[in-house]
Amino acid sequence: MTSDPNFTGAAGPSTEELIFDATEAQRRRRPSRIERVGDHLKREWQLYVMLIPTILWLAIFLYKPMYGLQIAFKDYSVFRGVEGSPWIGFEHFQTLFGNDQFLRALKNTIVISFYGLIFGFPMPILLALMFNEILKQTFKKTAQTIVYLPHFVSSVIIAGIVITAFSPSAGIVNTMLGWLGIEPIYFLTKPEWFRPIFVGTGIWQEAGFQSIVYLAAIAGISPTLYESAVVDGASRWQMMWKITLPSILPTIIIMLIIRIGNMLEVSFEMIILLYQPATYETADVVNTFIYRQGIQGGQYDLAAAAGLFNAVVAFVLVMTANAISKRYSRTSLW
Amino acid sequence: MNLYSRGDKLFVILNMVLIGLFTLSTLYPFIYIASLSMSTGFEARSGNVILTPVGFTLEAYKQVLSEPLFWSSYKNTFIYTIGGTLMSLAFIIPGAYALSKPQLYGRRFWNLVVAFTMWFNAGLIPFFLNMRDLGLLDSYFGIIIGFAVNGFNIILLRNFFEGIPKSFEEAARMDGANEFQVLWKVYVPLSKPAIATVALFCIVSRWNGFFWAMVLLQDEEKIPLQVYLRKVIVELSDDEEFATTLLTAAYSVETVTAAIIVCSIIPILLIYPFLQKYFSKGILLGGVKE
Amino acid sequence: MAGVHLNGIVKAYGALQVVHGIDLEVREKEFVVLVGPSGCGKSTTLRMIAGLEEISDGDLTIDGRLVNRVAPKDRDVAMVFQNYALYPHLNVADNIAFGLRIRKESKEKIASSVEEVGGILGLTPYLERRPADLSGGQRQRVAMGRAIVRRPKVFLFDEPLSNLDAKLRTQMRAEIKRLHKRLGATSIYVTHDQVEAMTLADRIVVMHDGRIEQIGSPMELFLNPANTFVAGFLGSPPMNMVKAIVVAGDQGPVAEFDGQRVQLQHIPALTNAVGQEVILGIRPEFVSVSNQSDPNLINLDVDLVETLGSEALIHASLQGDPFVIRTNTVGQMNILDGIKGFTIEPHLVKVFDARTGNALPGQVLEQ
Repeated sequence: MTSDPNFTGAAGPSTEELIFDATEAQRRRRPSRIERVGDHLKREWQLYVMLIPTILWLAIFLYKPMYGLQIAFKDYSVFRGVEGSPWIGFEHFQTLFGNDQFLRALKNTIVISFYGLIFGFPMPILLALMFNEILKQTFKKTAQTIVYLPHFVSSVIIAGIVITAFSPSAGIVNTMLGWLGIEPIYFLTKPEWFRPIFVGTGIWQEAGFQSIVYLAAIAGISPTLYESAVVDGASRWQMMWKITLPSILPTIIIMLIIRIGNMLEVSFEMIILLYQPATYETADVVNTFIYRQGIQGGQYDLAAAAGLFNAVVAFVLVMTANAISKRYSRTSLW
Repeated sequence: MNLYSRGDKLFVILNMVLIGLFTLSTLYPFIYIASLSMSTGFEARSGNVILTPVGFTLEAYKQVLSEPLFWSSYKNTFIYTIGGTLMSLAFIIPGAYALSKPQLYGRRFWNLVVAFTMWFNAGLIPFFLNMRDLGLLDSYFGIIIGFAVNGFNIILLRNFFEGIPKSFEEAARMDGANEFQVLWKVYVPLSKPAIATVALFCIVSRWNGFFWAMVLLQDEEKIPLQVYLRKVIVELSDDEEFATTLLTAAYSVETVTAAIIVCSIIPILLIYPFLQKYFSKGILLGGVKE
Repeated sequence: MAGVHLNGIVKAYGALQVVHGIDLEVREKEFVVLVGPSGCGKSTTLRMIAGLEEISDGDLTIDGRLVNRVAPKDRDVAMVFQNYALYPHLNVADNIAFGLRIRKESKEKIASSVEEVGGILGLTPYLERRPADLSGGQRQRVAMGRAIVRRPKVFLFDEPLSNLDAKLRTQMRAEIKRLHKRLGATSIYVTHDQVEAMTLADRIVVMHDGRIEQIGSPMELFLNPANTFVAGFLGSPPMNMVKAIVVAGDQGPVAEFDGQRVQLQHIPALTNAVGQEVILGIRPEFVSVSNQSDPNLINLDVDLVETLGSEALIHASLQGDPFVIRTNTVGQMNILDGIKGFTIEPHLVKVFDARTGNALPGQVLEQ
């Protein structure tokens, strides 16, 4: 058989060809844009049906309140509603920044966050490094199981444990102090004790669980690095400092950036449970201030203004953190 | 053969001791609370309970379990947890699926709509006023629907869906499956671990959540366990009258509080094996993404 | 009657065109293989036929019906995917039955179809197993089972063997061929492996940079490549390419390079071609080697002789470019050590225009 080496097209007319010609009438090259959208919707309408509930929910429960934020610039009255209340400009913000309680809450937020950062941030890293050095798997698993547990316990229970343990009459802490001949201390009524107890509780509750991120990073280190170090005669201590820690440094930096980005996210639920008027001086943070002024006190507009201020600062912090980490790791956080 | 030098051995042992101490310090408060709950009120008040129950008694539990409000709040927590989790999944699974599909028009925009809620929220007051305007105060439905969706969970699941090879969907499409069938018969079975993770996130946050329940629910019949617990812990421990009347009884504020804590922590302990398995995956899945 | 007709099929992503207007007619019951290097547009073309990619321009008809805007499920085609796309949560029987269930076939029909397909593919003992418990070859069979159970008009294969090891690939290749003979369904098969293309195809479509380079039966393409791309792509080792200039010789046109001469075939295109730059395509199998000095010999510098048993590969260089020869070892072992050069019949030297890379017209090698 011979054939034309330049043969590139279809063969001569065949039955298929003739039928193809019969469809020539319905032939439409390049469907128009509207047709394309029509085709798309006809084919994919179900996707939009799936998306709509979520978007509607977000609109009703999260975006509508953003619209409602305008009361921060209004003299809000329950009877006139969000839209009917008169505009008053920045009056609430002026009030806030002349308000000692608000300024104190702002300061407390930053100070408590800062303590949390200084004492709370290194702890999970240290734990992860130490967990990694444990050779006995059963011991490691058991220890991990236990230290992750407090993360899953509600703040109410944690607060309950703290209140019970620090109780002046029966609490274990005062009992132990009693052994040392120290008089019972009313810890939860003393402003100077609030921050150590709050930050310490946070570390106790979360450090173990937060170590998971670092343990995962450590698990990603190639074992050959350690093997060659062993051949070179490195001790375990040296390997921890010279191999493990540098290898997880990118993770540490990203977590640090996230942490700083979430500076204003002090777990105010816990503060509401632990603080009392006697400790407001050191314990009251912006969100607890908002809660008291707004929800308990009914000053919705002023509290909303404080919330808006909080949210805007938090947004700027988070976006900055995201941008920095994106640059640092070429991966964005979300 | 001895692989480790003496220095290494010392390091390993010291390390184990430190981890052991940290672990014990984590465990101790739970043991302390459990022992307290089973001690007599008198011993508890006198600060004699250190590690094990002193003057073993279950009076505190009798007291707790005879309180109707405890039972109704326990029941309510189950309603909020189960109803809320199912509601969340009903929104999140289809939503995340749609957002994972490249052919969705405006996909970037919709994803931004979701992500933005993680960066910026209107805050407590506008959310509260909105719930009030919607007539969702003091309502079971309000608690269940009001916290159904959260950006983090959507994005976590979306990321997982995006990781499923496209050919699974394409094969199902060629077999004649529509979007709902692709999601239900292919993606959902393939995503069981991720869906389990999201479900557990929901369960834990529902079970533990107290702030909004406290704010939105006035009616005692509707409050969940955590709000009840707070009432007992925070309010009664300040109540000197209650404290003194119970001073000599077989139970005290401390033992009753401890008993409620034990009761409310048990369900979490029961699902804890699953929690441990899926949560670590979950935080890694949702956290950092290209 | 299930032909597939592509008429000016274009795929563009915005301004970027990746498939530049494909014309192809796949006849009923034909096995057509699209082959080409990665990124040549072969998979995109296949996916447009499947309906998984939108067709930017041109017409696609299946069985005489224009299907440009028809959903994949309504095109009556089935596809075997590169990674098989077997559902890990379903056993073999349920994987095969998936499409029938979606189409709400009756239980009896599904059961009998699954049984039949399982029999055809030798999967009967494994119907209850999950994909994770199957070997690579078995998974591949399940993937095919899922396609054939629907009895579609057209089968599409997207690199179905590329996840298998070499031995299994050879075995499954033969199995696909047998299956096609048995079912006689129109098949379009995409691969980057020219051996697969050669062995499976009734006709091969060689693609390059979003265009068709040549269409023809495997032997047509092997013997008469339309251009240097096709010549270099098909055959293993590939055709040797030697740059040369046409000069006049005693017995017709001769190609000259480096002071060496190769007699060319008398074809009209070469009659007045003195001075033309050409590329000589010399198949590694078409030459005879020699260890004797001979004026007709084309001299080579041999680097290495690889003995593979019945045959040997001789790696040499010519004009500084690698030149590979494949030869029998039987009766030739004694000369393999001292090879000086080779001779070749004039009609076996394929001549390409050096400027365009196209084969000179009129030179046709008979099978």
